[in-house]
Amino acid sequence: MTPAPNYTPIEIGRANQHDVRVKWADGRETIYPARFLRLSCPCAECIEEMTGRRMIRDSSVPPDVHPLSIHPVGRYAIQILWSDGHNTGIYTWERLHELAGRIPAR
Amino acid sequence: MVTQEQVLQALRRVQDPDLHRDIVTLGFVKDMRICDGAVAFTLELTTPACPVKDRMKQEAEAAVLGLDGVDQVSIKMDAQVRASAGTMMIPGIRNVLPVASGKGGVGKSTVAANLAVVLAQSGARVGLMDADVYGPSIPTIMGITDIPHAGNEGIVPLEAHGVKVISMGFFLKPDQAVVWRGPMLSKMIDQFLGGVEWGELDYLVVDLPPGTGDIQLSLCQKIPLTGSVIVSTPQDVALKVAEKAVIMFNQLKSPILGLVENMSYFVCPHCGNREEIFDSGGAERASKRLGIPYLGGIPLATNIRQTSDSGLPIVVSDPDSASAQAFQTIARNLAAQISIRNIETEEQQLVKITF
Repeated sequence: MTPAPNYTPIEIGRANQHDVRVKWADGRETIYPARFLRLSCPCAECIEEMTGRRMIRDSSVPPDVHPLSIHPVGRYAIQILWSDGHNTGIYTWERLHELAGRIPAR
Repeated sequence: MVTQEQVLQALRRVQDPDLHRDIVTLGFVKDMRICDGAVAFTLELTTPACPVKDRMKQEAEAAVLGLDGVDQVSIKMDAQVRASAGTMMIPGIRNVLPVASGKGGVGKSTVAANLAVVLAQSGARVGLMDADVYGPSIPTIMGITDIPHAGNEGIVPLEAHGVKVISMGFFLKPDQAVVWRGPMLSKMIDQFLGGVEWGELDYLVVDLPPGTGDIQLSLCQKIPLTGSVIVSTPQDVALKVAEKAVIMFNQLKSPILGLVENMSYFVCPHCGNREEIFDSGGAERASKRLGIPYLGGIPLATNIRQTSDSGLPIVVSDPDSASAQAFQTIARNLAAQISIRNIETEEQQLVKITF
């Protein structure tokens, strides 16, 4: 079994007022815009479990949605508590790394 | 009179064979006192269950006695178990060691109990959490029939054979079973971690239910574990399922300390003939394939079952038996693996969340 590539963050903090900054072990940094991160929630309410179809409707999420707090999940992910009350998303390091490649240019 | 610096120089020749560094660099040498030709110090290792501690003591003695001006060396052996990064999230508990299996029936609980007892016998402070709610066998194996009571800060674990024990089995009457959905299981883990007066523990061994479900997930999500021990029997079918447990821990980025092969072979109590009932060597091959350490094999012996059912772990009832010896070796290998991992990851912090 080959080990998965190691995308481990060393620090997760703030950028701007509400965005999330991830410092990766290889020295790089990614800034995730708050709303983008919320709309990319991987939980089973937002993404259909079996088909992977995105179920979350952009219009149902307030435009100024932002993280209230971030908590570690074991040693493999974070959980974000959002201002709109949503909190079931578990963002693994792999997920965050994949999302980094999809951040829309401002 | 010989100087402290000269003694330390001599001690730098003694290597810890597992950590691959000398004992002075590792900070093991403490409280040195020199009086004319007599040198005394403490060797503080990373675990009281260190498999090579006698050897290191002898090497240290020889190294210092070899110095001019030294005619007496007295070494006190001690141990300070290091916490694995972040596990002190439960205050006082330095290392959490889940014992897992793919399938049921491979003897996981017996292995967990005996490993816990050996670690305690070597001088470590050990707890045993029976998280196998569906089939809590730890109370039977450890011979505990009492019911725990509540202390000031939580449930007070019951002690047996030097180990502090908590089990769902303590709270069930003989005619009760645990018929719970997921959230209840998660709450139980919370309770067993945070609502029990464990005190200071070097090792908390956790007997998991077989498989890869809610309880494993809860444990891996709530705390960063030190590393798991996977138990399997030699048969292919058991190993293929044990592999699922390995994949689960890899997915959850939970380190795996090694694989144990239970029921490895049978030794006839009458003629001493060794019979490989379930084939053999399977787990060792699997561990190479999966890239995890092989901690050892335990022979099947009728007396394990008899003593397990009677509340005496075999390492207590028959410490000279082949099975007990196997447990001793495996526990020591385990303690060494834990020390290695903790030293290696000492610089590696868990993710810092500054949000």
